[in-house]
Amino acid sequence: MIKLEHVYKYFSQNKAAVADVSFEVRPGEILVLLGTSGSGKTTTLRMINRLEEPDKGNIYVNGKLTRDQSPEQLRRGIGYVLQDNGLFPHYTVAENIAVVPRLLEWEEERIDQRTNILMEKLHLPPAEYRDAYPNRLSGGQQQRVGLARALAADPPILLMDEPFGALDPVTRASVRNEFRALDELNNKTVILVTHDVTEAFELGDRIGLMDQGVLQQLGTPAELLFTPANDFVRAFFKDQHLLLELKSLSLADLKPYLPPTAETDHYQPHVLPGTISAWDALQRTMGIEGVISVDFRTEVYTMDSRSLMTALSVYKQTAQAHGTTTKL
Amino acid sequence: MEPQQSFSDFLQQESGKLLEQTLQHIGLTFISLLIAVLIGLPLGILITRRKKLAGLVLGIAGILQTIPSIALLGFMIPLLGIGAKPAIVALFLYALLPIIRNTYTGINEVNPSVTDAAVGMGMNRKQLLYRIQLPLAMPVILAGIRTATVINVGVATLAAYIAAGGLGEFIFGGIALNNTNMILAGAIPAALLAVLFDGLLSLLQRIQLRKARKAVYVLPVALLLLSSFYLLPPAYGSRLLAGFTPEFMGRRDGDLGLRAVYGLQIRTVVINDMIMYKAAYEKKIDVISGSSTDGRVKAFDLAVLDDDKHIFPPYYAAPIVRQSTLDKYPELEPALNKLSGTINDSIMTELNYRVDHLKQDPARVAKDFLVAKQLWKPARGGTKGTIRIGSKIFGDGYILANMYKMLVDGYTDLQAITKTGLGGTKICFDALLNDQIDLYPEYTGTGLLVILQAPQPTIDSLIGYKQKVYDHVSRAFLQQYGIKWLNPIGFNNTYALMMRRQQAATLNIRSISDLKEYLER
Repeated sequence: MIKLEHVYKYFSQNKAAVADVSFEVRPGEILVLLGTSGSGKTTTLRMINRLEEPDKGNIYVNGKLTRDQSPEQLRRGIGYVLQDNGLFPHYTVAENIAVVPRLLEWEEERIDQRTNILMEKLHLPPAEYRDAYPNRLSGGQQQRVGLARALAADPPILLMDEPFGALDPVTRASVRNEFRALDELNNKTVILVTHDVTEAFELGDRIGLMDQGVLQQLGTPAELLFTPANDFVRAFFKDQHLLLELKSLSLADLKPYLPPTAETDHYQPHVLPGTISAWDALQRTMGIEGVISVDFRTEVYTMDSRSLMTALSVYKQTAQAHGTTTKL
Repeated sequence: MEPQQSFSDFLQQESGKLLEQTLQHIGLTFISLLIAVLIGLPLGILITRRKKLAGLVLGIAGILQTIPSIALLGFMIPLLGIGAKPAIVALFLYALLPIIRNTYTGINEVNPSVTDAAVGMGMNRKQLLYRIQLPLAMPVILAGIRTATVINVGVATLAAYIAAGGLGEFIFGGIALNNTNMILAGAIPAALLAVLFDGLLSLLQRIQLRKARKAVYVLPVALLLLSSFYLLPPAYGSRLLAGFTPEFMGRRDGDLGLRAVYGLQIRTVVINDMIMYKAAYEKKIDVISGSSTDGRVKAFDLAVLDDDKHIFPPYYAAPIVRQSTLDKYPELEPALNKLSGTINDSIMTELNYRVDHLKQDPARVAKDFLVAKQLWKPARGGTKGTIRIGSKIFGDGYILANMYKMLVDGYTDLQAITKTGLGGTKICFDALLNDQIDLYPEYTGTGLLVILQAPQPTIDSLIGYKQKVYDHVSRAFLQQYGIKWLNPIGFNNTYALMMRRQQAATLNIRSISDLKEYLER
């Protein structure tokens, strides 16, 4: 879908802002580019829709070299969300959302329908907000309009540059949850840039950790945590390691290390699905006496918080012993 | 004295002219503004894209802005002649800087994340400019246009100096004629226009952003409409074009007399005295209201038309002196009277020619003349007192003031200093009246018509007779102001209509009556 091959970008002569970055994003995947400011993650993102031109290397979108496509045509097929939303202050909410469909010369009726659908989905009642100007909206609402604008023409690819970065933590969490639940994102290929580790772990199918213009490691959250490629990657997650481990692993991942259940026939009042993260499972065990059933569809396990933590430490030992980066 | 005409009477009487001048003024302001917008806006946009050019373009526009307006108009004359063209170009140059600068600033100040988003959405340069940058920069650009408009309304008054019309005709005519009503009739509408357009544009600026998008279309239409005022056809046309000074336009012994007594109907533009002769020489205008002893009559080979119906009163020059000064220093009067009867019209024209055209120093010309007449004596270096000699800004005044200084220095123990260049009659006479100067050379006709503002019957009874005019002003000045007219110097610097000698000969025009006949033929 999107492929970068040995891409370099220089803003000054001696220091590369992006150096030898290569990766491929699979269709329908959410790839998070994670890093501190100045790590080159935003520049990498902006080279994909040609807001920056790479000095060296190739970038392919939909199998075609981006530099062979007209930048305007390329960009109209890629949704783009910015940190401080970049809404047009002289356009109403509806007009903001309709920018790309208008550029693509859709019929007005179709634009209207599409705008209303998106506004409903993003909890912006059209009756109330269609004709409002962005300065009347809260930060969270503005960011949702920004997202709706990026999704308006239903592009297969979405580039998001710190999309929740300008929001306060509470709003950020709620907008992020909405984002995760949004059906519009099914089958979209998303590249999201953030400096927020938790955000990366919550949203990313895979995470590319960047530092000083170099892609340090690209892998699933679990791979970055349990088999870091170098010291930088290891150090980067050190502070929140346990939290991230719990968030990155699902109960299914830990299943081999959970104690087998003796009996499955006696009734357990609490049942968890096997797909939830260990973090969520742990939260659910709080304040519950005794054990909880875990439903893995084919079989049912029981566990409590102690057996969950034991399973986690065995998982880590096994992962380090194997040295592999595949989910066990 | 005739009772002072009230301001509203004046407005009523001159309403046609006032309307015409106001429309011309608006037209001048907005034609130049329109051109400035048409050029400044794209230039401002260009330098947002080529930042290297920005310093250069803004620098040049800034330098143009600092050139004094009179000087800029002066530069325009050799290039573009007189009339609307140089005025519009000068005004255009003044309007340019605020428009370029505000366009540049306005576009640069658009929130970068907004332009980034627009580009990221897939807008091309043109879409970005028209949909995002211009609408968002519009309040700032309008502020620039607003500044330019106010500047132009002000500077457009100076257009009257170069025959381009506008409210400056009243203002400068009024200053020249010592007519406050006339000054106000020009100044008040000009000020009102500035306030009005400033207000309208500030309204436009404050309109909601959404509507500002429409302002992009309203503005050019409004500009075009207002510009077209200047192109309204003149009330009448004629084969020859006259260029008269603002002062001449408003005088009974000027344009008013030409119409009333001769019935002369000629297409007329108002023009500054400084450039009138040259404009005639360069065939920009055909008939001018010169003064008969001006050096440029000789320099530009002009022919004076005979005033066969005697509408121009005698303008015999004589020094007028404060009586209190004469009482204090009785030796002053005989010294000043040494010049009496020594300079006739052709001598004065010759002297003026040397100063105005050959660019000789007035002091040297004065000395050469006195030496030739054996009147010159070296200065005694007296310390008895100081005599302040004034003069108007015309050639005559400079030379005469210098001669009087030499006579006072040479024949008395007084020391003379000159204060030349005191503008027109009003400024000189006020200075004399208020004891800022002791004497200056004045003309009998000016004294009668401009200073005394004698009633029409008195004028009619005196006007043909030089001695009667002199006697009348002598008596009246002493009584009313305590100012004494000394003996006339000899020359008559009267108003005169003049044409290029060759054209006058070809058309066989020798007098004003001939001119009228030719125009009606």
